Amino acid sequence: MDASSAMGPGDAGFLTRFREKFLFLENPKYLQHLLLVPVLIFFIVWNVIPLLWLVGLSFYKYVLVTGEPLKFIGLTNFKEIFGSFEIWHALSNTFFFVIIGTLSQTVLGIILGFLFWDSKDLPGRRFALTLIFTPMILAPLATGSFFKLIYDPVFGIVNYFLKSIAGVTIDFLGSTAWALPSVLIVDTWMWTPFMMMMTLAALGSVPKAELEAAEVENLSWYRRLVHVVLPHGKFILMLGILLRTIDAFKSMDIIFTMTGGGPGNATELIGITLYRQAFNAFTMGKASALAIIALLIAISFTSIYLYILQKKEESM
Amino acid sequence: MSEVKVVNLTKKFGRFTALDGIDFSFPAGKVTCLLGPSGCGKTTLLRIISGLETPTEGKVFFGDKDVTGLPPRKRNIGMVFQYPVVYRGISVRKNIELPLLKRGLSETERRERVDRVLSLMNLKDYAELDSSQLDNVARQKVSVARAVAYQPDIILFDEPMTNIDANSKIQFKHAFKELTRQLNQVIVYVTHDQTEAMTLADQIALMKDGKIVQCNDPRTLYNVPEDVFGGWFLGNPGMNFVKERCEKKGSTYIIVSRLLKRPLKIDAPKMDAEVTLGIRPEHIWLSDVPGSDAVEAMVKDKTLTIGGQYLYTLEVGGEKIKVKVGHHFGRAIGNTKVWVELPLRHLVIFDGSERRIHGDLSLQ
Repeated sequence: MDASSAMGPGDAGFLTRFREKFLFLENPKYLQHLLLVPVLIFFIVWNVIPLLWLVGLSFYKYVLVTGEPLKFIGLTNFKEIFGSFEIWHALSNTFFFVIIGTLSQTVLGIILGFLFWDSKDLPGRRFALTLIFTPMILAPLATGSFFKLIYDPVFGIVNYFLKSIAGVTIDFLGSTAWALPSVLIVDTWMWTPFMMMMTLAALGSVPKAELEAAEVENLSWYRRLVHVVLPHGKFILMLGILLRTIDAFKSMDIIFTMTGGGPGNATELIGITLYRQAFNAFTMGKASALAIIALLIAISFTSIYLYILQKKEESM
Repeated sequence: MSEVKVVNLTKKFGRFTALDGIDFSFPAGKVTCLLGPSGCGKTTLLRIISGLETPTEGKVFFGDKDVTGLPPRKRNIGMVFQYPVVYRGISVRKNIELPLLKRGLSETERRERVDRVLSLMNLKDYAELDSSQLDNVARQKVSVARAVAYQPDIILFDEPMTNIDANSKIQFKHAFKELTRQLNQVIVYVTHDQTEAMTLADQIALMKDGKIVQCNDPRTLYNVPEDVFGGWFLGNPGMNFVKERCEKKGSTYIIVSRLLKRPLKIDAPKMDAEVTLGIRPEHIWLSDVPGSDAVEAMVKDKTLTIGGQYLYTLEVGGEKIKVKVGHHFGRAIGNTKVWVELPLRHLVIFDGSERRIHGDLSLQ
């Protein structure tokens, strides 16, 4: 209670004075704000300032390698972006990738989650779960590299089986028709465990008594889902879908290692375009403008989800 | 519907034995309370009857039908849980109607049944409200109504009042009493609260360590426990117990007790050398003047308890006993020396293994 008593009488006066100086901290209003300061500093230094910088930069012509000074060009960067076929193509690729990827990961994840639901007594459960969750913890670069080998038309194991069974060879990452689906499969392989984990968490949040009541009262599986499982689990599940959407939207590393955006621009996603603009062409102003567009799209995704969630919450 | 019978029911969780070879039958048209301290196996027994838990050994019969292997949904039971269950996103009416949907009833019939249970549980004003707008009492009432509406053969209650605040408990108890009066199903009610069991049950099955110790109507169970445990567990505070020696004199047995002025004679075929005398605190006669059959006692403590009664802690011949007396008398009585007398019709004698001895008592 009183630290000064342990310090001897000589120190007591100093400590009391010291304490008096900081007495205002006992007011919870000040304390709350003080405790927020470290986070706020990080947030401002690493998020707010770069974001404002980014917005500013998007109105300038700024090429890193030419050594030219910054030149204000207004909305020219944005005009160029909206007029560029490549970027529209990358955007449409990205939407395809995000929607199909998130959808298949969600569906598969939910199915797997339900399969593992209430499986505490299942022998080998831990082992199976560890295996299932492994893709998620691998580095995307590593995953990309070995899937490149798996898909390889000459050495790859997929083509080995394809050839011995159907007698054909497909250059998965080298053909414009196959490249995007092939990349999507890898992304799904990698992130389905995440959706499964979210499903398990969502299912775990359903009160046991409600499930048991539904069983005793012989409700159909559909009604159990709608009136018992979803009301409790939907929030966590929606959060999972939201995280997957945002993450898929900005994914580039795994694809970049496999195809580099090609063949042609078959797997060119907005993330890859952005990378090229910034670190191949060094056109920082244009890259900034593109980044802002990507950010706005991501924010609108998030808002849609939050709106749906809130709407559901109200109607409940 | 006929009775529910369990035969040699045993349930083990790992090394822990929750139920230890229980043979029991629950009669129809009566409320049977399973009463006991935490961990005595009462909820496990209920869950095995419902099918939510499978027994390690033994069988469950509904009437003559062996249901041991049947899942809960095929047993036609109703169950009310500790946690008040309402289905989300739908009205109270729809909640109650939900289990009726798969039972092949016409719409008018469904409506009638729902209306009947709504008025039975006093829920009419809530019918069109969304289930999430209800407080815990109303939710629990809805789950009772739902369990009753589809007319199951058996209705199980698993400590339904745990999550209800003290004031609403009375309201819930009232609704429960009203309801059970009109039902003739097997009703099993699990609780650890003796007051609840005493007020709601037609018969109480007292459980301890996975076994049913005694099953009687509440009054009998309270007044003549068959086991030391029953005397100790019921009542607040429980029975007074005093260990005494028992000697054989001729054809009868004699107990000389510090609590009795004269030796106690008991007509029983066989007695252990050490017995336990038990008597409830409120059954002891207390007086501030000496009586012919009263023994002297010293007051050690005196407290006011529920209902204005006084609880005395007395010392008699080196034994501490508790005595409960009415308000006026308790206040009038002194604080030092008193006299106590144990009426024989309330005195219970237990043998060395703590079971009750049946036999006529008289003073010599």
